[in-house]
Amino acid sequence: MMRKVILLLLLLCFTAHTRGKLHSPPAKPGLTSCRSPEKETFTCWWKPGSDGGLPTTHALYYRKESSETVYECPDYHTAGENSCFFNKNDTSIWVNYNITVVATNALGRAFSDPVEIDVVYIVKPNPPEKVTVTVMEDKGWPFLRVSWEPPHKADTRSGWITLIYELRVKLEEEIDWEMHLAGQQKMFNIFSLRSGGKYLVEVRCKPDHGFWSEWSSTSYIKVPDYFHREKSTWILITVFSTFTFLILMWLLHMNRHNLKHCILPPVPGPKIKGFDKQLLKNGKSNQIFSALVVPDFPPATSSNYEDFQVEYLEVYVRREQELVLEESKDLHNSCLKSESSTSDCDSGRGSCDSHTLLMAKCREAKEGERQTDRECSPMRTEAQRRLKDWEEEALNYAHAGIVSLEMSSGRVKTWPSVFSPLPRYSSSPLDQQSSLQMAKQLSLSTSSYLTQPGHSTKEALGQSYWDLCLSSKQPHLLNPPTPVCRELQAHSDVNISSIGHKRAPAGPRSPALHTTEYVEVQRVDNKDTLLLQPVVQGCGRMGGCFQMPHGEVYSKVKGVDSDNVLLLQREGMGEDRCPCVEQETNEVTGSCHKSCTVSTTQKPSGCIYTAVPVRDEMATMANGYVDTATMCTLHTC
Amino acid sequence: CLSVVLLLSVVCLGVSSQQITDGRLFSIAVGRVQHLHLLAQRLFSDFESSLQTEEQRQLNKIFLQDFCNSDYIISPIDKHETQRSSVLKLLSISYRLVESWEFPSRSLSGGSAPRIQISPKLSELKTGILLLIKANQDGADLFPDSSALQLAPYGNYYQSLGADESLRRTYELLACFKKDMHKVETYLTVAKCRLSPEANCTL
Repeated sequence: MMRKVILLLLLLCFTAHTRGKLHSPPAKPGLTSCRSPEKETFTCWWKPGSDGGLPTTHALYYRKESSETVYECPDYHTAGENSCFFNKNDTSIWVNYNITVVATNALGRAFSDPVEIDVVYIVKPNPPEKVTVTVMEDKGWPFLRVSWEPPHKADTRSGWITLIYELRVKLEEEIDWEMHLAGQQKMFNIFSLRSGGKYLVEVRCKPDHGFWSEWSSTSYIKVPDYFHREKSTWILITVFSTFTFLILMWLLHMNRHNLKHCILPPVPGPKIKGFDKQLLKNGKSNQIFSALVVPDFPPATSSNYEDFQVEYLEVYVRREQELVLEESKDLHNSCLKSESSTSDCDSGRGSCDSHTLLMAKCREAKEGERQTDRECSPMRTEAQRRLKDWEEEALNYAHAGIVSLEMSSGRVKTWPSVFSPLPRYSSSPLDQQSSLQMAKQLSLSTSSYLTQPGHSTKEALGQSYWDLCLSSKQPHLLNPPTPVCRELQAHSDVNISSIGHKRAPAGPRSPALHTTEYVEVQRVDNKDTLLLQPVVQGCGRMGGCFQMPHGEVYSKVKGVDSDNVLLLQREGMGEDRCPCVEQETNEVTGSCHKSCTVSTTQKPSGCIYTAVPVRDEMATMANGYVDTATMCTLHTC
Repeated sequence: CLSVVLLLSVVCLGVSSQQITDGRLFSIAVGRVQHLHLLAQRLFSDFESSLQTEEQRQLNKIFLQDFCNSDYIISPIDKHETQRSSVLKLLSISYRLVESWEFPSRSLSGGSAPRIQISPKLSELKTGILLLIKANQDGADLFPDSSALQLAPYGNYYQSLGADESLRRTYELLACFKKDMHKVETYLTVAKCRLSPEANCTL
């Protein structure tokens, strides 16, 4: 019994003891924060530690700077539990407070760590109040106007505290806020709203040196639907641009040809007269080239008779300088006209156009000491070599009567006629045969031909007429064949059957024939006038025969009448060389003289002689030449 | 009679113009002091961040006993007192505070460049406050009384300086400077708001 009581007592004591061990002095509390809402009062909060199982009390003690007096918190209740509220009387600005919280219980007390605070730097104002959001319009575009009030406790009016504000906006369905700093103003505008959207707006504030307040309560606002002017503008722009585009395309379409010409200029096609592209495409070359042959080409009505080809065979002998010098002026004139054409020194050529030959003649006529002459000299020597052959041949042919190749110079030239188509002669030294042949083959459009003296068979020279220009008036002859330079130039309309060359005076002729004069047709001028020149006879023998009187046209073809009669006209061109009557018996002018004497009534110029129809005359005349003597007798002036 | 009228009109104009320029001067002064306060804050925070925790605890303990060099200047320490003070008083206190820091601000050492500019800015601010004082002075001049007191604290202050306490001293300097700048800012703002015609001073 006793033992039970003792055990019970011991147990009680033990339990009492154990209970006493659970109790402990309180743990150290801690000050969490101290805040001042308006820089006039402030509040401090602490967090108590474990109480040790015993009821503990907390006390806050503070000490102001530079003072040892410890004060206790004046107000534990205003700010709530575990807080200490310092009112205005207890609050000093710019003064350091040393605050300590003490927890006390039955077993002990605990001190917190002291905290130094200055009220100025712990200001955290209340959130702004009376936040209002309204929708306003600016030229049809809505915007939000947010306005608020500062917290009523903060004295911004006197300038004691200066607050800056910040607000944030977001759509209801969004997550992120859009922040806007408003500064010290109490109003703010928000633009770029979505029509029909619901917005949330919040505002907060902060003193210039302090903490941000809490966000104000959310304000909701719904933006009304406004007319989508953006879309309408775009529609208008699209329509306008489409319209403009259509107009431009239409303009381009209308001017597509011009554009095509600008961008892709057409390739110029052939512009040959008479050239037909279609024929070319068809591939018939015959037709093409036949089409090229234009009827009026070569120009038959050319008025410039000087362009006519002078066709003659010109033979030069050695003394070409003399020959050159003795060229007539007329030749000079004609030469000058064809000065531009290039010269051809190849004396062996058979086919040269009159221009080149004239040129060559001109050059020879001008100076013998030209280099070109020197160039030509070998040719000439060769020609001279042939000269004899030709002369012989000419003699032969004189009977044959085909070709009058009387040469008085070493150069033989054969000129084809002017007109189409010109047979081309090789430039190689011509064989005399070939030249003669070629000379024969000249077929011209004219109807003149050269008859053969004493030969009934005429060479069908046909259209050809030639000028056998034996270098004009060469006094220097190698052979009896008198230097006869005869140029037969006939108009295409002129039908000169033969003005055959003449044979040497040694030919069987009547005495009258002795006085045969050799006529050289120099040219045909544009009046259809055949200009003839007298050729000096026998000058070659004599040597030193002076040149022919320049410029004297011995006889001039007036025209051809319908009976194929060559009308010759004697004319003296400016020189009174042939007042034939008074001429002295000079062999040089013998022929002239005599012929003149025969024709007493002959005028120096302007005589018209009736030309005998040469063809018919052939039977009468032994050689078929037209000699002026005969002509003279037949004069009609 | 006419000359009197003219004189009065000139005086009135002068006064009115002064008041107009006062507002602008105030704004400028407030702006300057705000800038200085920000500088002081930055300096202090830089210094604190450069300290180690050990030193921080020491400084906290020590700071309790020390005081700022400008503590002798009696200034309102709450709103009520501030509201009670006249503009001129506020201006003069501000002037003294700024003046007190003119010399010590040169010793503020550090690595950042803005410190170099503190002293001239203080001088400029002082000049501005002086102008304001002269503009609002319509009575007794408080300067002779306060200026006499200034020299003594300076002397005591720098005698107590020791080599060991340089770190602490810098800390204190920076803290005091920051506080004083804030004081001046507040006083000037209050004075400006009191003089401005708008009821709502801070917009």
